[in-house]
Amino acid sequence: MNTPAAVGDVCPPRRYTHSRVQLFRFSAVSWNSHLIHYDAEFAATEGFSDVVVQSTLHGQTLTRYALEWAGSDACLESVSWRNVATAVAGEPLIWSATVRTVAPCDSGVRVTLDVSVLRDDGAPCVTGHVDLTCRAARTSP
Amino acid sequence: MSALDDVLSRARGLIGRWEDEDCGTMAVKEFCRYAAVVDDVDYLRRARAREAAGEPVEAPPLFLAATMSWEDGPAEEELQPDGLAFRESPCTQGLPVRQVHGGQAVRLTRAPLAGTRVTASRAVTSAERKHGRSGDFVLLGLSTRFISPDGTELTAVDETIVVLDALPKGTSA
Repeated sequence: MNTPAAVGDVCPPRRYTHSRVQLFRFSAVSWNSHLIHYDAEFAATEGFSDVVVQSTLHGQTLTRYALEWAGSDACLESVSWRNVATAVAGEPLIWSATVRTVAPCDSGVRVTLDVSVLRDDGAPCVTGHVDLTCRAARTSP
Repeated sequence: MSALDDVLSRARGLIGRWEDEDCGTMAVKEFCRYAAVVDDVDYLRRARAREAAGEPVEAPPLFLAATMSWEDGPAEEELQPDGLAFRESPCTQGLPVRQVHGGQAVRLTRAPLAGTRVTASRAVTSAERKHGRSGDFVLLGLSTRFISPDGTELTAVDETIVVLDALPKGTSA
């Protein structure tokens, strides 16, 4: 965030994919052994075209890009999200965010973002909110 | 009684019963492996530099919330058909059901530091029978509070799990 955040600001979107290798490694590091995340054959029995992105990996992505947007002085206060549709390995995804609120707080400015993970066609996979405090940012006049 | 009725009955019997799990002592290597998996190279560099300088190293913000279990096991033969341990699949043991994660709310109070011993306290907080596009399901609410030895809350997680009937063999969702 190079300029002060204002309500309604749209953050630059981020485009990315999760590889099968990343999903496997995320399952390993988070001790999540559900087959749907690393066994494509099992995922197919549940109707999915490939292994499924973990909900907590979506949460990680929502948070990480929000922190990158806010800058190095930003601190995560909370994040919440709802899973709307499934995303799979290799699927092009878009992190999207809009500034919902900006308010002064003891440590600087508290910014709440409405965040989403969208499919290439704009349909949401995940929707939620990220609350950050930013020491360096200022509220808009 | 259907499998979903069983899930609902079990869950209602557990509401409000908190159980503690020892997460062990937080380690820089665990933090860095998590950061490496999510391609956070900046975190890796900072964490290892702080460790080398003898400074405290904070966990990545969602490290505790993202970790599904802190147990050593179970062995593979004890896993459910979907790969989950019974403990990670509350109220569904032995039932023909499947589950998906509904969503999560994570509140960070204080970042855990490497060297801190952490306890996770968990409870089922709600259980409701619902009907949606894909038919009947049970919506379970779960809460986890990660606490340091001095009783300080580090991270609070509230999540929902959607429990559905298993798909008949040969069909897909």
